[in-house]
Amino acid sequence: MSLFLQYLSLPYLLQGIELTLQVTALGLIGGLILGLILAWMQLSRFWLLSAFARGYTVIFRGTPLILQMVFAYDALPHIGIKLPAVMAAGLALACNEAPFIAEMLRAGVLGVDRGQISAGQALGMTPAVLMRRIIAPQAIRTMIPAFGNESVSALKNSSLASVIAVQELTLRSTQLASSTFDFFSIFFASGLLYLVLTGAVGAIQLGFEWLLDLDRTARRRRLTDYLPRYPPWRRIDCVTKRQLADKTAPALDLEPAAPAKLAEPPPLALTREGRAKRAATIARNNIAVEVKDLRKSYGAQSVLNGLDMTVRIGEVLALLGPSGSGKSTLLRCINHLEDWDSGTVRVGGRQLGFADDGKPLSPRAIANERASVGVGMVFQQFNLFSHLSAKENVAGPLRWVHGMMRVDADRRAHELLERVGLSHRADALPRHLSGGQQQRVAIARALAPNPSVLLLDEPTSALDPELVSEVLEVIRRLATDDGLTMIIATHQIRFADEVADRVAFLSGGTILEEGPAHEVLSNPRHPVTARFLSVMEPDKVPEAVR
Amino acid sequence: MQNWLFTKARHVGQAVLGAIVAFMVLVPAGAQASTPVGCAALQAKYPDLKGKALVNAINPHTPGYEAIDPKDPSKYVGFDIDLGEAIGDCLGFTLTYKPVVFAALLTTLSSGQADIVISDIYATKERAKAADFITYSKVFDGVLVAKDNPKGIHGIDLSMCGAAAAENTGFVEVPLVQDLAPKCKEAGKPEPTLQLYDNNANCIQAILAGRADTYVNDVNTVDQAVKANPDKLEKAIAVTIPYSVGIAVPKNKPEFRDAVMAALIEVQKAGIHMELLKKWELDVNNFKEPDILTAD
Repeated sequence: MSLFLQYLSLPYLLQGIELTLQVTALGLIGGLILGLILAWMQLSRFWLLSAFARGYTVIFRGTPLILQMVFAYDALPHIGIKLPAVMAAGLALACNEAPFIAEMLRAGVLGVDRGQISAGQALGMTPAVLMRRIIAPQAIRTMIPAFGNESVSALKNSSLASVIAVQELTLRSTQLASSTFDFFSIFFASGLLYLVLTGAVGAIQLGFEWLLDLDRTARRRRLTDYLPRYPPWRRIDCVTKRQLADKTAPALDLEPAAPAKLAEPPPLALTREGRAKRAATIARNNIAVEVKDLRKSYGAQSVLNGLDMTVRIGEVLALLGPSGSGKSTLLRCINHLEDWDSGTVRVGGRQLGFADDGKPLSPRAIANERASVGVGMVFQQFNLFSHLSAKENVAGPLRWVHGMMRVDADRRAHELLERVGLSHRADALPRHLSGGQQQRVAIARALAPNPSVLLLDEPTSALDPELVSEVLEVIRRLATDDGLTMIIATHQIRFADEVADRVAFLSGGTILEEGPAHEVLSNPRHPVTARFLSVMEPDKVPEAVR
Repeated sequence: MQNWLFTKARHVGQAVLGAIVAFMVLVPAGAQASTPVGCAALQAKYPDLKGKALVNAINPHTPGYEAIDPKDPSKYVGFDIDLGEAIGDCLGFTLTYKPVVFAALLTTLSSGQADIVISDIYATKERAKAADFITYSKVFDGVLVAKDNPKGIHGIDLSMCGAAAAENTGFVEVPLVQDLAPKCKEAGKPEPTLQLYDNNANCIQAILAGRADTYVNDVNTVDQAVKANPDKLEKAIAVTIPYSVGIAVPKNKPEFRDAVMAALIEVQKAGIHMELLKKWELDVNNFKEPDILTAD
């Protein structure tokens, strides 16, 4: 026991730790840099880069680290690269770690919800901004446990540097054992030293997880908002507890006050005269969106089949039609989230995503154009950025895409959240909001940069029935109060009748029937439209015209 | 616990004894510690080596020849270390040490990561393909076995048939044991099995753990192991092996090789070689005048 303790504190072994850490640090930092490059190459659009990265991964993941160490140490000098032992070990470890780290990074990036990426693109984020603001912060959070694992494994793997004369902990232990014959005391001591090191790595990992835990920051914010600054032992007294419960309860879910705020029914243009007058005004307006002979197919299946469509400024168009009729694809083509096979799409007279000579632009240039043309989009699945608070979901893109100052962006975000009745939930994370609240935040986010056109892709389809009305109410106000140009794919026939100026009925990738909303809905001419409307039974009968 | 205390007591005893021996050896040596006379001429002949710091690749798992100093683990000590420094002293260079596994000694030399190898390595024709050797010591091997030699092993001969032999990867004894297999078969006995480890200590542990029956290596190494575990190990016999121990130098540096050889001759002439054998309690019969061994 005394020998064991003596070796545990022997400076000779403790100095070995320093070299162990040096090799590990070189391996991890080098591996992270190489891994970033590899992951980037693998995710690249250019096949040659990704093929090269694949080849590298096959070689360095498929050969033992000990061979790589010997190679870096003994073979490289033959081609004139004579690295010091620690550097050679660090290089071999870095080259070996890189493919593992690259796969972790790739998994992290691919694990970020595609919907959020679509939402970022729709907001005009360039690939770089998307990566930095949306993908990386979420990917890093999911990668921490894997990275902790990798660090522990790199630390242990550094012991292989003993074969190339790096005086790290393992080599020192074996030499000491050879000269003293105290085999077991020495290896127990060095084993314990390794445990301390890997334990420290584990602690650092947990620390990072705690630091980046979104729920923790959200919870702290909520507690400091509601908790009087009592010392911990006072918090358990019953009065405080009840007060706390009273105060936090409304915040947990849909606040009763909000619907009331939204409930004042706005004047709807439901009268025949009103509708006619509005239609006449719109007819004089310029064209906002023009789609001509749009065709797109996924393999053998054609989704859009020579579709033509025109929407004027201030007009609200409802797209109806069965699932798979091409509504979503059409909307995604309008702001060029999807490529198409032939045909043209013009927004505000511009062909979004094409240079003047008709050539397609780079993803970065398309993003900038989306931002300048101003096409907002609201998705069926809300697609809020899940690592950002409601306020940041709205304010963030304003700063990153439109270069707005933080104060201005925050003010705008507050304005919009207030308009959708959610100013009291500004600091909540999306996952702490109900579906309806999330969709209202998503609408605020889409409205923030003042888009010229707002595309809504079945905005209420993913909501529980009791939450549908709060979202529809917000949209209704946009049409009536703001005169915003909107294209809404929806299954809410009655809502379409109330809000839309025109409806277009899609089937098989073309518009089967279109016309003034009330006319088409109450008196469809095409049998397919009629059948579809009759299937949507509970919502079928549009309100009679007053 | 009791065992530990015993070992410790024994260690203290050894240290005291070692100190006395060292004192007795070093005092007369003190007068001669100065550089041999012929060295001045050598330094004039090989001026490039003067003031250089060369790297000596060693496999520091052989107490007596090369191992870390248990009292100051930052230092390497042993006969080979002292001899190398005497040669360096003669030619005017200093040595730093690079510890590698035995099998990597010559690859480390040929990759240029080391300049010289003085590490109780046997000079064989096979190894001379990778490096030139200046031989300086005869070889006597000992056969290490468990206490009371339960398997009755008496060398690398038919008595080893069916036994498990522990060896260091790259040791010359490895092919000798392998060559035994057909002979055992012929005699109608089971073949010996070979266990390869990467240092001395692991080979000794293999016998202590009952995994191996024998370990054949330099007799001094075997003696050290017996001294450390007198109640568990013993030396069966010493066998002669037809090799010499050599200093390895790169093949493409004949001038350096000749300089080392000339310096070794001076060191021997001055009696330093013999003194070092005594200092490290090695058999003086090991002494050998230098020769050069190359591949051709």
